[in-house]
Order: sequence, then C-alpha cells, then structure tokens
Amino acid sequence: MPKAKLAIGLFILSEANFFLLLIIAYVYYHAYPGSGPTAASVLNPMRTGLFSILLFASSATMLVAANRYRARAYRATLTWLVATVALGAMFLLGQALEYAGLYERGVAVNRNLFATTFFTLTGFHGLHVFIGLVAIAIVAGLSASGRLAGSAREADAFEAVGIYWHFVDAVWVVIFSVVYLWAIL
Amino acid sequence: MSGLAVSGRIGEPSAAAARRGLLAWVASVDHKQIGIMYMLSALLFFAIGGFEALLIRIQLAVPNNHFLSPDTFNQIFTMHGTTMIFLVVMPMLAGMSIYAVPLMIGARDVAFPRLNAMSFWIQLFGGILLYFSFVAGGAPNAGWFSYAPLSEPAFSISNGVTYWVLALTCLGIGSIAGAINMIVTIVTLRVRGQTIRRLPLFVWMTLVNSFLIIMALPVLNGALVMLLIDRLLNAHVFSPAFGGSALLWQHYFWGFGHPEVYIMILPAFGIISEVIPVFSGKPIYGYGFVAASTVAIAFLSFTVWAHHMFAVGLGHMFVMFFSFTSMAIAIPTGVKIFNWSATLYHGRIRLTTSMMFALGFIVMFTMGGLTGVSFAVAPIDWQLTDTYYLVAHFHYVLFGGTALAIFAGIYYWFPKMTGRMLNERIGRWHFWLTLIGFNLTFFLMHPLGMMGMPRRVFTYPDLPGWMILNMISTVGAFVLLASVLLFLWNIQMSLASGAAAGDNPWDAWTLEWATTSPPPPENFALVPPVHGRRPLWDLKHPDRADERAWVEG
Amino acid sequence: MSGVPTLNPFSPEAASISHLFVAILCVMFAIFALVAAIVTVAIVRYRDREGAADARQEFGNSRLEIAWTAGPTLLLIVIFIFMVRTIHASDPPVRGRTPELRVIGHQWWWEADYLSSGVVTANEIHIPVGRPILIDLESADVIHDFWVPELGRKIDAVPGHKNHLWIRADKPGVYLGACAEFCGNEHAWMRMIVVAQPQADFAAWQRDQLAVPAVAVTGEAAQGARIFREQTCINCHAIAGTAGIQRIGPDLTHLASRRILAAGAADNTPANLFKWLKDPNSIKPETHMPNFQLSDAQTHALVAYLETLK
Repeated sequence: MPKAKLAIGLFILSEANFFLLLIIAYVYYHAYPGSGPTAASVLNPMRTGLFSILLFASSATMLVAANRYRARAYRATLTWLVATVALGAMFLLGQALEYAGLYERGVAVNRNLFATTFFTLTGFHGLHVFIGLVAIAIVAGLSASGRLAGSAREADAFEAVGIYWHFVDAVWVVIFSVVYLWAIL
Repeated sequence: MSGLAVSGRIGEPSAAAARRGLLAWVASVDHKQIGIMYMLSALLFFAIGGFEALLIRIQLAVPNNHFLSPDTFNQIFTMHGTTMIFLVVMPMLAGMSIYAVPLMIGARDVAFPRLNAMSFWIQLFGGILLYFSFVAGGAPNAGWFSYAPLSEPAFSISNGVTYWVLALTCLGIGSIAGAINMIVTIVTLRVRGQTIRRLPLFVWMTLVNSFLIIMALPVLNGALVMLLIDRLLNAHVFSPAFGGSALLWQHYFWGFGHPEVYIMILPAFGIISEVIPVFSGKPIYGYGFVAASTVAIAFLSFTVWAHHMFAVGLGHMFVMFFSFTSMAIAIPTGVKIFNWSATLYHGRIRLTTSMMFALGFIVMFTMGGLTGVSFAVAPIDWQLTDTYYLVAHFHYVLFGGTALAIFAGIYYWFPKMTGRMLNERIGRWHFWLTLIGFNLTFFLMHPLGMMGMPRRVFTYPDLPGWMILNMISTVGAFVLLASVLLFLWNIQMSLASGAAAGDNPWDAWTLEWATTSPPPPENFALVPPVHGRRPLWDLKHPDRADERAWVEG
Repeated sequence: MSGVPTLNPFSPEAASISHLFVAILCVMFAIFALVAAIVTVAIVRYRDREGAADARQEFGNSRLEIAWTAGPTLLLIVIFIFMVRTIHASDPPVRGRTPELRVIGHQWWWEADYLSSGVVTANEIHIPVGRPILIDLESADVIHDFWVPELGRKIDAVPGHKNHLWIRADKPGVYLGACAEFCGNEHAWMRMIVVAQPQADFAAWQRDQLAVPAVAVTGEAAQGARIFREQTCINCHAIAGTAGIQRIGPDLTHLASRRILAAGAADNTPANLFKWLKDPNSIKPETHMPNFQLSDAQTHALVAYLETLK
C-alpha cells in the first residue's frame, strides 16, 4: 500500500474530527445566538457562493493536473497546478475581502458567539487552504524545474497532495452549507 | 530507486551517517535514537513531575499547613498532572513503540523518519514551553483539565493557562504525527510472512492505540483553539456570563480525555502481553480475544466520556446511558486480565524484575479497574467523584497500571537498547520499594475520600483521621522517591558496567531479539523467516512450530 | 464528621447510595481477592525451579473465554438494575416542585436565600428535620459543587445551568459539607454546614434571622457601625437596617449567630473575627476580601459591632 496516500488519509481523518468539533460549536451557538449579528444578518451567501465555485473549480483543475502527471505530460501538469493555485488564491482573496467587510461593520471575532465560531471555523479552513496552496506550489515548482520523474514514490506523494486538496474542498462544502446556506433557509 | 533530486539535499535520510557525539543524536532520524530520546525526555519530566508530587504531599502532610500558598499549590498540582500525562506517560509509551515496533516487524525504520524526528522535537518544545510559564508570570493553575470558566481570563489572570494551551497544542500535533507514522509503518513495512494475525500484541496495541490518538487528539485541539481565542482575543465561547457554555468545554475536553486514558493504557497492555508470555515460557492465552478486546475498548472509549460529568446535573437518562457504556467497557478489560492470568498457568515462570513488574501490574491495575467500575455506578460517583477516592482510582490505573508496565518494559528492552543488562538485584529492590511506596501513598486515599476529603485542596480541616491518613501517604511518597532514585542508579550503573546482554538474553521470540544488542543502524543483517506469532520459537522448535501445533491441536 | 460520612447516611437518599456502595465494595473485594489469589497461586505452583515441568504450549480455550466474558456481563447487568433503583431513590424527581432554598456558590462562600421566608444567610444552612427541602443551586462565577456527604449526593453549581438538589436530614445535628469542584485559590476553604433542627427550633431560627438588629448607638459598637459604613465594607456586605444591601460578599446581618467564619476557614469567635478583619489573608490566604489596613482599635470596634449582630 502506498505510504503517502495512507498517511494523508489518516491525517484527513484527524483533521475531519477537528473540523467536526468546530462545526459542532458553530451549530450549538447557532441555536443559542444571543444578541448581535447572525449569519442571516451579515453574511452574503451569493458572493461567497461565487468564490466557492472558484475553490471547487480548483479541485477540478487538480484532477486534471493529476491526470496529466500520470500521462507523464509534465508541462501540462505544471499549467494545471498553476491554475489550481490561482483559483485557490482567489478563493482566499474572497475570504479576506469578506473578513475585511465584516470587520468594518463591527463584526470582530469577539463580537458575539456567532462571530467567534464563524471566524474560527472559516479561519481554520482558510488556513488549511493556504497550507494546501503552499504544498501545491512546491509541487509546481518541482515540475517547473524539471525535477518530476514519475517514480512510484513520487506518484504516491503527488496523489497525496491531491487528496489533501480535495479534502479541503469537501470541508468547504460542509462549512458553506452549514454556515451560509443554513442561514438563508 | 529513483526519486527526487540526486543533488544530496533532498534524498533518502541516511541512518548510517558517520557523525558522532551529541550532534548525531540531535540530527538523528533513526527510530532507535529517537525512541531513546523520547524515553530520556520522559524520564527527565518524570523526575520533575515527581518532585511536584513531593511538594504536594509535604503541603498535605498536616492540616492547615503553610508550606505552599494556595496559588502555588494550584500551579504545582496542575503542572504535576499535565506533566505526568503529556510529558511522561505519553512520550514514554510513544518512545517505546517507536523503538520496538520497527524491530518487531522486521523493518529498517519507521515509514517517515523525518516526521518521527519532528514529532519528538515538537514534544520537547511543548514541554519546555509549558515549564517556561513558571518564569513568565506563573504556571497554569486551573487543573490539568482547565474547566471553564475558571480557565477564562476573568478568573485566571496570569498567562499560565495560555502556556498550557500552546504547549498542549504542540504535544497534540506531535502525537498525531507520531500516530500516523506508526500506522503507516505497521501497515506497509512488515516483513514478509508477518500477517496481521501474526502481529506481536505490542505492535497490535500500538496500531489500535494510534487510531485512538488520531481520533481523540483533534478533539482536544478543537477545544484548545477556542479556549485560546477566548483568552487572547476576548471571545466568550466558554464564558457563561456572556452567553457561552461552561459545559461545552467539559464535553469537548472529556471527548478527548476519556479516549486519552485508554491511549495511556493500551501500549502498557501491549508490554504486559509481551512480557508475561516470555517469562512464562508459553504463548499468550487467547491471542484472538486479547486482540479483539483491544478493538472493543477502542470503540467503546468514545462512548463513555460523560461519566466524568455525572455530578454536573445533566439528567437521569444521560447518566444511565453513560453508566451503561462505562460498565460495558469493563468487560473487554476484564477479559485481558483473565487471559494474562491464564497465561501463567502451566507455564515455567521466571521471576525476573520485568516479570515482577508485570505481575504487580495485573494486581494493581485490577484494583484501579475495580474502583473505576464503582465510579460507573452513578450514585456512587455522586458521592465519591472529586474526592481522594478518585485520586486513588486514577493513580492505581496510571501508576499501578501504566507506570508498572513501563518499568516492566524498560527492564525487558534495556538490554536490547544498550547491550547491557540492568542489575537484577537492584531491580528487585526497586520493585518492592515501588510496590510498597505506591500502596502506602495511594491506598489510604480510598478511605480518605470516603471520609469526605475533596481533591485539589491546598489544605484541609483537622477532622478525625484526616491527618494520619495524609501523613502516611506523604511517607509513602518518600518511599517512592527512594525507589525512583534506586532505579536511576540502576540505569546509570548498568550503562557503565552492566553485564553484556547478547542478542536474546530472555530467550524471547519476537523479531527484535534476532539482532544484536544494540541493533545495527539498519536493524537487521538478515530477518529470520516468519511463519507464526513467535518466529524465534518456531526456529528453535521446528517440530513444535506454533501454527502447526495450533492446527494439529 | 465522624467515621466515614459516605457510609454514615442521615437521610433516605444518602442511605440508598450507601447501601449500594457497600454491596459494590463487597463485590470489588471478592473480585480483587480472586485475581490476587489466581496470580499468587500461579507464581507459587508454576515457578521455574529444578525439575519443574516444561511450559505447556497452549493457545487458549474459546469456551473459557465466553464464560469469563458472559459472567462479568451478567454481574454488571445486575448491578445496573440495582443502580437504576438507587438513582431514583437518591435523586428524586423535581418536576413541578418549588424550590424553598436558593444556594449560590461564590468564590469562596455559599450564599443561601430562603425563597419562602426571605431569610438570607451564608455558609450555614438550617433545615427542619425529617422534611426534604428542594434547593435551587446556582453559581455566581465559576463551577462549584455542593456536597454534604452524610445527607446525599453532590452536584455541581454551574454558571448558566441551574441545578436542583433535595436535601433532608432524619436526625437533628450539624452536618459538614464542602465545595467539591476546584474553583480557585480558596477551594479548600469553601466549606459549609447544614444544621438540622426540629420544626419549632427551625421556625424560631427563621424568625431570628428575619429580625432587623437594633442600630448600635453607644460605645465601641457604635464606633464599629460607623467604620462599617465609612470603610467601604458596605460596598460588598449587606446588614439589614443599614444602607448595606450588596451581595458581593456574604450577608452579615446575623453574623454573630453563625458557628463558622470564612466558609469554614475558622470557627466564629471574637478572637478569630479580629484576626480576620485585621488581615484576612492570615486566615484564608488569597481570599477576595481586601485588607483594609485597620488599626487595632478600629478592628476591636468593628468586632464589637459585629458581635451585636446575633
């Protein structure tokens, strides 16, 4: 069994648990909102939805990159890796803009329990996106400098990075549903 | 094999590096050295945590004592608990797994040697960070489980709890990384012939335990992250005064905390499952049942957490559910005790120091387990939780259990690690002093709790009987001090001039004994063939090889 | 507390727990003795010595495994059934019943408000003998725990989460209790006493507690009363008949009638009261009560005043 894929699978198991705990806290305080801003009053699911599409698209580009890698088409791999990083970075940019907008309206992390759990949950997700982008950028760099050779070990590692990236996107599906969609239902 | 660049910068870690001295250790990615470093670090923190225990016992020796101020006492007992759990037991067990598992599966090293090194150093960093708090305004003082809202800034003014959060985050990351490494190692690097059903039980328990770590430590990390945001960014997740929930912290913490206690005992079970059969001269009784009961414990450990919250007032239905699951988890544990005991029968028992500690474990852990069952009976918990009876319970399982198993493991594997035998005569003294000191310290805490003494009190009123029981306990703590000093002396002396160990001083059966003591950097020159659970036994007794005997009755 | 309070019940609730506990203790001893015997016998009989038989290479016995799995399971089922009965007996339902007493845990003292009569006191709770009283248990700050072992179970006082506790004593007497959840520096000295009295005495006590003490006008006591007003004591403590109405610290209206000071850190004597007022930390280190740097004369006067508050 390939080591890197198993390792990343186990890591995802542990991270899924971590996110689950943060989601539970968000849901718990959604039921006991207290006063102040709520998801429905300050979030913009439409806009965030658009940025989310970019993130989901980056999963698709990552899939294509993996496909090109397996076909040993390393230049194409590089192109699609760069596309993935670009799309992911745009998602993070959107998140930064959202945070800035909220902060301007006085919705800081300690404003109320909605704000705390919202920023904690989406913030840690953003951190995981960022780490994923760093990893993909490293692979892209290796690809650009011609160091990819297609060995079994290398393929294992490449796929592991891809799996991590898809996990990060899957987590966003859940977070987007629980935080943004649930607010407008 | 090709791989990444041949430039020398990114390449296979070279375990056969010719560097010598301290730098070799610091830069090492060899699992044997990393395992030993984990164990040395744990030993250092054991001394510190033990010193903290002595301070506690001195303060509690007589009523109305003024040896420690209340706040100092609170810092000391918080650090004692946090140290023993996160900086002693977990790293010690991790270190023993990291050392022994690759050898027991016939591998050269773990799957990710550099990740292995990172896990160790982040653990050490976490420990240093935790202790730095003493000179940075005060150590954490809200108990090792930092209940909210006592742990919130309004009630816990120094930075101590913040250091606690940060240190535990580091330790959690290290543990998770180590667990991932262990699972991948065991799944992918086993020597040919060693199927899952032929795994040595220490390896099996490490495997199951690693899954526990992966599932439980993130729960702690989630809680820690929110407490950190409360403390540093003025949020109120756990502050009832501002709409937060004190109970949410408890659910989260014990959601981690209960599996955590099994994380601290499963590898100990693994050690016992190796030591008892070897020194009885026969295979473990009921291998399948011991292995299966481990999995049962792992699953059940996620269903019992709120038995730590019976006195919180969450309603009878809640209490009955968790009482039920807590009783259920006693059953697979009992199965193990019976299997270890049955292994002794019709054996040929060699009372080495390692074996004596293992036998002591069976008896002492049973006692701790039984008081645990009494706590599963909720109304009894309603009287005795948060008293010294509880302190007795968890010390019986963690010291009488895990610590005794660790000593058994050290006496067992020290020869392999160092090439020298630990002195058996001193070992015997160590054992008896430990057993006597331990029971003197903790047994009388059972009646003390029944008499009404709450835990975590810096002093107590001069009620009849309280002082004498506390005083005896303090004396016991000093007997334990003597036993630990003796142990350290044994180690130091044996390293210098202990008898040469040879490859297999115990006539044991698992693969680590098929190489030199200590093993070469690549672990094995040649791995013996594996056709059963006891490869070296099978080699020595080809006519009575295990699986043949089993199949042929 | 005499003997072993958890085994010395003075209420039906505490008794039901105590009986179950004794039964469980017997089971525990039996199992422990069994395991210890099994191990000891094995060591003695199968010790490696000259002429001992070779170790028997056996692997297990499924039937035995099932037996020692089923046996404990059955035992635990029996225990569970008895436990359910004890849960109901020791923690009777509260539905629809009105609490008579509100107990609020503070760092580090217990506030007791009698909801029907209006009595307000601290750390010393009186109840009539033989009748169950329903307590509404709350916390003003961190988690505390109310525990009087001779009378029943313990239960946490959780901020933001109200709990209820039945309390009852079958015999008149003074029952010792303690806070049983770590709550900070003076957790050790957050004790309380429950005084169970015959109904008539209890009614008399309530009447006395509701009486407004006469305002001291002469001598040292009058000086003390003035110090109470001027030294900001009045900002934290309430005394009926004065301008002091705050509940930050314990209500002092009938301080002189109580048996203990500082939630059990000292007995309530004039000498201890003097020590406490002169330097609270000498009795209860790191307590929230500040040291007002009173002179000896001022302290004497204050003690004289407080001693009139019977």
